Amino acid sequence: MPTRNTSPAVRPGHLGRTVEGGKKERARHGAARRRGRSERLAPYVLIAPAVLIIVALRLYPLALGVNFSFTGDGEANGTAVGFANYLELLDDPLFQTALANVGLLVLLLPVAVAIPGLLATFIYLKVPGHRFFRSVYFFPAVLSPVIVGAIFNLMLAFDGPLNELLGTIGLGPVDWLGDPGVAKFAVVGVQIWATFGMALVVFLAGFATLDASLLDAARVDGASLRQSIWHVIIPSLSQTIQFVFVTTMIGMLTSMFGLLYVMTSGGPEGSTYLPEYYIWIQQGQMNRPALASAASTVLFLIMLVVGLLQISVLRRAGRED
Amino acid sequence: MKRTLWPGVVVLALTVAACGSATRPASTPTGSAAAAAPASKLVVWDWKSGEPYAKTYIEKAKADFAKKHPNVTVEFVPQPFEQYYTLLGAAMQTKTGPDVMLFNGGGQIRDRSDSLLPLDEYVAEDKSRLAGWEAFAKDGKTYGAPVTLQGHPIYYNKALYEKAGITAPATTWDEFLANCDKLKKATGAACFALGNKEGIGPQFWLSGMGSGVLTPAEYDGWIAGKRDWKSPNVKKIFEMFKETGDKKLNNEGANSTAMFTDIFSVFNTGKAAHIIGLMSDIGHWKDFGEFIGPDKVGIMLAPVVTDGATPSLPYDGGIGYAVAKWTKDPKAAADLVRSLTTTDALSSFSAEAGAIASDTTISAPQDAPVVGEIVAQLKAGKPALHVAMDSKTIDLMGRLSQKLLSGSATVDEAVEELAASDQEN
Repeated sequence: MPTRNTSPAVRPGHLGRTVEGGKKERARHGAARRRGRSERLAPYVLIAPAVLIIVALRLYPLALGVNFSFTGDGEANGTAVGFANYLELLDDPLFQTALANVGLLVLLLPVAVAIPGLLATFIYLKVPGHRFFRSVYFFPAVLSPVIVGAIFNLMLAFDGPLNELLGTIGLGPVDWLGDPGVAKFAVVGVQIWATFGMALVVFLAGFATLDASLLDAARVDGASLRQSIWHVIIPSLSQTIQFVFVTTMIGMLTSMFGLLYVMTSGGPEGSTYLPEYYIWIQQGQMNRPALASAASTVLFLIMLVVGLLQISVLRRAGRED
Repeated sequence: MKRTLWPGVVVLALTVAACGSATRPASTPTGSAAAAAPASKLVVWDWKSGEPYAKTYIEKAKADFAKKHPNVTVEFVPQPFEQYYTLLGAAMQTKTGPDVMLFNGGGQIRDRSDSLLPLDEYVAEDKSRLAGWEAFAKDGKTYGAPVTLQGHPIYYNKALYEKAGITAPATTWDEFLANCDKLKKATGAACFALGNKEGIGPQFWLSGMGSGVLTPAEYDGWIAGKRDWKSPNVKKIFEMFKETGDKKLNNEGANSTAMFTDIFSVFNTGKAAHIIGLMSDIGHWKDFGEFIGPDKVGIMLAPVVTDGATPSLPYDGGIGYAVAKWTKDPKAAADLVRSLTTTDALSSFSAEAGAIASDTTISAPQDAPVVGEIVAQLKAGKPALHVAMDSKTIDLMGRLSQKLLSGSATVDEAVEELAASDQEN
């Protein structure tokens, strides 16, 4: 995001400065000098609104929140408690589960990227019915997480259609949302189902830039489908893949709250907690706003690391361009 | 110079003005009304006033209050219940919340009692007329006035009992287990409808079954805050909960079935013979009666496990109104709470919302025989065990109960963890 925003902003700036420089050489009297000074000030005045809004509505509340995380809850409200909230977080098995689940999401990321990538490849290779699949795959992306969650609550219920289907082929019922070992994968699976349409579209856009003659050449040389994918498609789409990796990661870390809320409420046994759900519970249900602030700060730091990685990845991708 | 600087100055001025107005409303929700003195305004937050069934109730309460304080306007702001305590917690943190607000009895109001006004001096007259005060009290001070009573009767399906040839509900745990066998064989129904997806199951279980397991002294001590987690009887309650899982007495998939509201349909469709339900709002006599017939809904007291235990109906104040500490006119706010708990207003609420009202002088709706049975039990009833616990331990109990059912924790481990959490808070 930031890189995309700054690069077009810089270019007009350069133009403006050269024009400015030209003028200065021509005009030499006092009024012009004053105008020169005011023109030097103008950029600062013009960016002031944006800076003020960011400082007042983003950075200041952020600082307040971090500051708040060092105070106590309940009777200790408002008094400084140092790192007590952070130590409590480290001790809380529920928060540990939430962080471990973040790790699990990172591990499952390749799957979440490979599925739309593979399906986009098939659509690009014009498998029969590819037009139909293209629209069907995108369809879940327009549903809100709450609706998706409600649909899968019914589908995955213990006496729901999926278990009935398993029953007809002789497999025992699986408690999809009630077994802690299964539930987190069920929720991640639904999250992938609900969001892969967007990644698919990004992949298809990437395919549009793919040089078809490379594929033709590979085919002429007798490459199999697997060899074409591995040696031609993946290297050509490396930037797209990087981009999808980063956006899918952000999506998983920040937008699963709705699904969790509707599908598992963090359960069973607290196995599907994610940091944002933990924050919500502590703030809203446990009346521990300062502890929730500490958890938010930890989540913020995680997101900051992810965000910085994202920027560096995108910047590198841009340089390769 | 003018040409280049002026637009910037204007933008700057607008921004400063925008920032100012963006921060202002949050700080003075009541202040703006106070400016129009002498008339002032009270803001009420709840999750009921927007419902059609509460319309007459609110109108009656407003009319009663207008008689006492004609200069004070009242604004009801209904909030979505799912977000209620999140919004309220945020508002209270900045001391800018409503003047009067609805609370669930128990942990929710106790956790926030340091932001609430003790109402004892204002509500003394109502003390004997209304029941359920304990759920809104902490350390001997009353912070809210009850509107409804909430409790956990053990409901049973009389039609299934008839099919299984059982004439009266069991009075001991062994007899109860034998009945469960009979019911399963004769009707195929599970013994209990248990929805434990949110982890609410053990709260209902603890309160529904507790009076048959704990001795009266243990029970009263538990409510008074002296909870003896080392008592074998406390452990027994959790052993019985695990037993329902081990012996497959519950409906299948209990850990993935939501208490609100999937589990009620399991009972309503006759797939389970018993359910520990509620008295007011949802999952109660009225809901069940609509499906299985008002005359087929029965209630039973907890089966006796321990000699000397005296089973009783567990109930508390369900919901009630409280007053914020920072309200400008505490007298008017407390009077509004009193207007919201008049006999006249409460009888409307009881009849239209299908609730057992806190007012003991009004007759409960008589369209279902089981209501009479519930009301008859009120006098001997005691506060529910789980309501006396703090919300953190309740939350932990929810997770541990899922582990008990799935077998990934033992009763000893669960009781030990609960004891540690309970004593810490």
